[in-house]
Amino acid sequence: MSAAPTPQRVPDEDPAIFREGLKMGMPTLFGIAAWGLVVGVAMVKTHLTVAQAMGMTLLVFAGSAQLASLPLIALGAPVWVIFATALAVNLRFVIFSALLAPHFAHLRWYKRFWLGYVAGDLTVALFLQRFPNDGPAPGKVSYLKGLLFPNWTAWQVGSVTGIFLGSQIPSDWGLGFAGTLAIVCVTIPLITNRATLCGVVVAGIISVLGFHWPYKLGLLAAVIGGMLMAMAVTEVLQRGKARGIAPDSLLRTSGVDAGQARRRRQEATRRKEHE
Amino acid sequence: MSDLDIWLTIGLLAVATAFSRTTFIMLGSRVAIPPRIQEALRYAPACALAAITVPDLLLNNGHLQLGPDNFKLVAGIAAIAFYLVKRDMMLMILFGMLLFTGLRLWA
Repeated sequence: MSAAPTPQRVPDEDPAIFREGLKMGMPTLFGIAAWGLVVGVAMVKTHLTVAQAMGMTLLVFAGSAQLASLPLIALGAPVWVIFATALAVNLRFVIFSALLAPHFAHLRWYKRFWLGYVAGDLTVALFLQRFPNDGPAPGKVSYLKGLLFPNWTAWQVGSVTGIFLGSQIPSDWGLGFAGTLAIVCVTIPLITNRATLCGVVVAGIISVLGFHWPYKLGLLAAVIGGMLMAMAVTEVLQRGKARGIAPDSLLRTSGVDAGQARRRRQEATRRKEHE
Repeated sequence: MSDLDIWLTIGLLAVATAFSRTTFIMLGSRVAIPPRIQEALRYAPACALAAITVPDLLLNNGHLQLGPDNFKLVAGIAAIAFYLVKRDMMLMILFGMLLFTGLRLWA
């Protein structure tokens, strides 16, 4: 990170980049709404009143934490146990917050608070994919907002639908699977090298092995384990690179994100036209 | 659980969300994270997304189900293959859900 904060002269807002964010997030909306629906139904099945369910969906706005806490509420678990579980489930967001922080450090505190508060898994992943570097770049706030607004809306629409139709929807329709598919879809372009692939595989394995651990610690262990594995693979491959072995990149096999590829092609043609 | 307890729980859950999602972004540039750790943190989003989805694909009611009778797994793998070819998220979700529903109703 830079030693002294430079004044932010690059515009944060840019309507074109806002639309880019909307376009990027659009395909995930159905999956997010489906997941919201599942959580809405779960809240109703746990006998929360409509007011409580609405309160939970608006104030907590964290699907995995809500789903983890509902069975505990049903069992009448002590409130501090539920809090500890939700905290453990949400701990991955501390990491995401650390990743987002340098991009928005120059904003007023309340803007940072709201942007961070509603930024879920998919929003963070998609934002970081578009802006992998901390340095000033135009339209970061617009892009994030472009991802956030529809994400939040889709979730609320799904949740409210689930709350009001909860009893009518048979659970064996498995509608939540659409949410899983959406998340899988966003994960694939993030796997750009072997290190990430290994990390993802290890995270998957640990999340299955630790599925029944208390406080949903399996999720947290999976994230940390995956990160450690990816770092270890990076180390090994860097040492291999020093000895002249091929660089670690899956970009040709797994394919580059279409948007990035298109942008690169556009830049290449623009460069050719100037020659 | 009493109504009051439930509202208390909801309040604490909101605190859990606020705390985890806003701590670092609120600290802004006041916290310098060592570059090695920053490198490691970049892998976190992909790992977190995997940790959320893999159990849904591989487990049925908490039990590992790796065979073709796990419709989510079959549909999931097919959907991944579909996405790698078509690179279209909406179609991938549609394809996966249709396949999953088809398997569920007729397999």
